[in-house]
Amino acid sequence: MGQLQLWLSALEMGCFFGLLALAYYLVLVGAGFFNFAIGPYAMVGGLCTSYLVLYEDMNVWAAAVIAVLVSAALAVVTELAVVRQVQRRAGRGELPALVAVAAVLFAIQQLGGYLFGYTTLPGQALLTFDPVPLGDTVAQPSTVLLLGFTVVAFAAAALWIRYTRTGRLLRAVGDSTHAAGLLGLPVNRVRLIAFLVSGLLAGITGLLFAPKAGVSSLSGLSWALSGFLAMVVGGTGSVWAPLVGGLLLGLVEVFVPYYFGGQSHVYGLLLVALLFFAFKPSGLFVRRIRA
Amino acid sequence: MKRVPGSFGLLLGLVGAALILLWVGADGYKQTLITTTATYALIALGMYVPYLMAGSLSMAYGAYAGIGGYAVGLLSSRTGLPLILAWIAGPVVAAAVAVLLGLATRRLSGFFLAAVTLLFGMAFTALLVDAEGLSGGSGGLGSLRKLNILGWVPSHYQVVVGSLVVVCVIAFLLDRLRMSPWGVIVRTMRDAPRAVEAAGVRVSVMNLVSLAIGAAIAAVGGGLFTYSAGSVTPDTFTLNLVFLAIFMPLIGGSATPWGAVLGAVIAVELTLNFPAVQTSGTLILALGVLVILLLAPQGVIGYASRLARLVGGRRG
Repeated sequence: MGQLQLWLSALEMGCFFGLLALAYYLVLVGAGFFNFAIGPYAMVGGLCTSYLVLYEDMNVWAAAVIAVLVSAALAVVTELAVVRQVQRRAGRGELPALVAVAAVLFAIQQLGGYLFGYTTLPGQALLTFDPVPLGDTVAQPSTVLLLGFTVVAFAAAALWIRYTRTGRLLRAVGDSTHAAGLLGLPVNRVRLIAFLVSGLLAGITGLLFAPKAGVSSLSGLSWALSGFLAMVVGGTGSVWAPLVGGLLLGLVEVFVPYYFGGQSHVYGLLLVALLFFAFKPSGLFVRRIRA
Repeated sequence: MKRVPGSFGLLLGLVGAALILLWVGADGYKQTLITTTATYALIALGMYVPYLMAGSLSMAYGAYAGIGGYAVGLLSSRTGLPLILAWIAGPVVAAAVAVLLGLATRRLSGFFLAAVTLLFGMAFTALLVDAEGLSGGSGGLGSLRKLNILGWVPSHYQVVVGSLVVVCVIAFLLDRLRMSPWGVIVRTMRDAPRAVEAAGVRVSVMNLVSLAIGAAIAAVGGGLFTYSAGSVTPDTFTLNLVFLAIFMPLIGGSATPWGAVLGAVIAVELTLNFPAVQTSGTLILALGVLVILLLAPQGVIGYASRLARLVGGRRG
């Protein structure tokens, strides 16, 4: 395997982590909440598509649309039925919300296994075209799609948050839910939109990444952790920060096993987490607030 | 006669254990179910101190149970020492690891702590697979020796009885601990850490102690499971088990440690014992936890005691 192939692989992993981190970022900005169920939403996006194509003989695009809608619906249900209720009752303190989101994560994981089987299914390609030659290696269609979607998603998110009315509302609610409530802004609707968009994003990300290594009902947990880590490493200073964090993690995920072999990427991730959480818990990019 | 606090819970627990033993009888499969239940209960009890008393959710308990399990495996296959020493060595090592991890994560709480401890659990599993010379790789350690305490070799049934007794004793002790001055401080720490720190108690030290106690209890459970199963592999104590252990106190009721035990009984019944729902038992459990979380945050024991008060109130 050439060096270029490795870099391409790292870029692909990085974009995947970055997209998951962007989904985290949107919920964090809009609702001030780390939604660990992002990983399972992405898992449903990938697994549901593969299941519908392989066992129900469905057209891949129709299957993809259904799968993404299902993950978005799961995100909306998470906010309406669980997070909002628990936060309203528990108020301050994040332990109840954390336990609730752990229960959601576990429930979606079990639901995915029950509905779509506990085996690993191969991912489905949305488009088939000849691999793109790139130096001494080639980029598979699935890779090209994922990279392209990353650029589009981040650009759209940046424009959305900066220039649209909903995007500005999102930041206002995230900065201070209390003040936004006093101003009469539609806090609940904005939170719901944040969850909905992140669910859509996670679903598409999962189904685009699935061709790389397949997807099983248990993929969701490690995806959730990787996305969370990418967001923490990147920080919340700008929309692009999750992408930087994701790319850094992608390098760790690909190059550490290449040089140290075996399952060393797990140790690498733990080390990155301990170092960042201990010394730079706010991430690389921090928003500077003018006093 | 002065009534010992917590004795009522112990009495109910012992009655429950006796009923369970009557139900089990000589059925081998049911005996396995009971040792599994006892293991789940011990892991959930181990999480009780840091999670429900000190309010910090560490998810490295698969690793602590694994340390207990591998202590039994290693002592049996690599040394000639009496096997009972594994239940001393395992909990001590697990407590030491918990203190080290607690030191490395002492500034973290909530989501950050959960993420790091989950990664730690995954890294520990990876380490067990990689360190083939010590842990036997992905095949694990098998064909363990029989327990031999000063010439007495307990039968399988006696191990089942013993595991129930251990669970009852630890639940009783934790119940006492919860009501002791130390327990009151730890529980206050969860709600008002600054007030406790201002009163002259080092919150970080208390946190480490509670983590160490929890890890040691989970390691006892891990050793028990390994002994009754006869082998241990990196996949014996999965993340699924850790998630179940978080939910058990919620199902049973988080007010007393006995809730965790009751939750473990219900969890094992649902996931392993109902043939009709075998494939979806865990799913029912997960959805049930969500419903409990939203509608009945006190769990089964909370509602039972409210019912008892209602009935008692009418009588008096």
